[in-house]
Amino acid sequence: MNKIDIDIKKEITTFKYEEKELHLFDKKDQEVIYNVEDNATLKVYQYGININNDITINLNGNNAKVEYHYSTINYENHKYNILVNHNVSNTSSNIYNHGINVFDKKLDFNVTGKVFKNSDNCICNQENQILNLVDGDSTILPNLLIDNYNVSSSHSAYIGKFKDEILFYLMSRGLSRTISYDLLIKSFLINGSSSNEDIESLEKEIKNINEGD
Amino acid sequence: MLEIKNINVKVKDLDKEIIKGLSLNINDGEVHAIMGPNGTGKSTLSKVIMGNYKYELTSGDILFNGESIKDLEVNERAKKGIFLAMQDPTVIEGVTNSEFLKTAKKELTGKNINYFEFIKGIDEALEDLEFDSNMIHRHLNKGFSGGEKKKNEILQMKILKPKFIILDEIDSGLDVDSLRIVCKNINKYKEENKDVSVLIITHYPRILEYIKPDYVHVMNNGKIEKTGGMDLAIETERSGYHSTNEVSSED
Repeated sequence: MNKIDIDIKKEITTFKYEEKELHLFDKKDQEVIYNVEDNATLKVYQYGININNDITINLNGNNAKVEYHYSTINYENHKYNILVNHNVSNTSSNIYNHGINVFDKKLDFNVTGKVFKNSDNCICNQENQILNLVDGDSTILPNLLIDNYNVSSSHSAYIGKFKDEILFYLMSRGLSRTISYDLLIKSFLINGSSSNEDIESLEKEIKNINEGD
Repeated sequence: MLEIKNINVKVKDLDKEIIKGLSLNINDGEVHAIMGPNGTGKSTLSKVIMGNYKYELTSGDILFNGESIKDLEVNERAKKGIFLAMQDPTVIEGVTNSEFLKTAKKELTGKNINYFEFIKGIDEALEDLEFDSNMIHRHLNKGFSGGEKKKNEILQMKILKPKFIILDEIDSGLDVDSLRIVCKNINKYKEENKDVSVLIITHYPRILEYIKPDYVHVMNNGKIEKTGGMDLAIETERSGYHSTNEVSSED
C-alpha cells in the first residue's frame, strides 16, 4: 500500500508516500488522525502555540513507522493527547513531547502507546518533558498499554525547571539570564528538527514569551 | 587582580560550611595552583569566585581589580574578565558551539560580531587545539569525549579572551597528548596576554610541569594550610596531603 492517510477534523487528505516528513506550526486546536500503512514512515515535527491537541496514530501496516516530535508553548490551560495504536506486527513508534508552561496555568500531556495481543515485534517508545517557567501546574501521563511479550518499549516523564548548573554554565560565559533562558528554551523546543524555517518561527515565538505575549 | 579576603562559604539551604576563613591574593600575571584532597572545597572555591547561586558567602569579600564582586551576578563577573574552565562542562543540545560563542562574545563585548575576525579566530583556535573543524557546528559538548570537552573549554577561553582564568581540574580525564595540547594553548594565551592571571585547581602536579606556577597552595578542610613553590607540589605528590612539611604560611 505504501500510503499515509491523514484525517484532519474529518476532512480526509491522503498522501501516498513511502516516507513523509511534516513540519507543522499550529496556533489553533488540532484533532488529527494519521493512518500509516505497509512500509510507510511518517516523521512529524509539530509546534503548537497555546493549543489543545488531539492526535491519533494508527500503525496499520507491516513495517509502518512513526517518529513524532511535539513541542508546545503554553499560556493558558491546555491538553495534549496522543494515542499510538500498534495494530499489526513489526511496527515502530518514537514519540518526543516537549512543553514550556509559561505562566501558572495547567498543561497536561496524556501519552499512550498501545500494542495489541497479536502485534509482535513492535517498538513503542515515548519521552515527555514539561518545563514550568514559573509555578505552573503540569501533569504527564506516560501510558504504555502492552498486551504482547515480544515488544521493545520505554517511557520517561520529567516536569520541572531548567537545572541551575546549566544556567550557571551559560551565564559564566557572559550570557544574561534572559538570553540564557532563550537559548535553553530554543534548544528544548527545537526537539530534533534541523529545519531553519522551524528555528526561525520558534525564535519569533520565544521573543513573544519574553514580551509576555 | 584577585583578592579573596577571609571568606566563609556554606551551601545554600544547608547548614554546611565548606570554606572556612580562606584568604588568597593573586596579582596580575601570576599563576597559582591549589592542590588538596577530595572534598576539601577546591572546586567550591572556583564556583564561589564565579558566583554560583548554590553557595552563600557568609562573611569576607572577593575583590577583582580592587572592586568587590560578591554581589555581582555570574554573567557580570564574566564581563569583568573572569573565566572558569569547568571540571564537567554542561551539555546543551540544540545550541551549536558556533552559535553559543557568537552569543557569548556579543554579550561580553556589548558589540556586534565582526564575522571575519570571529571566523578567523575560530579557525586559528581550532588548529591550535588540533580540533576537527566540524566541531564548531556540533551542539555544545553533546557527544564530546572527556578530552574534547576540556579542549572546548580552552577554545572558549581563546575566543572570549578573559583576564583571569580558573582551571578546575582541567587535567582530569585528559590523555598525555591532550594535556600537552591544552597546556600549550594556555601558555600561548598567557604569553600573548602577560597580565592574565591563572588559578589552577588540581590533584596532581603533572599539569604544573607544563604550566609553571608562581605559587602552590595546599588546601585542606576549607582553608589554605600551606603555601610554597613547585617544591611543595612535588613533596605533596611524594608523601601525600597529610605529611607535607610546611614551607611557608599564606596568611
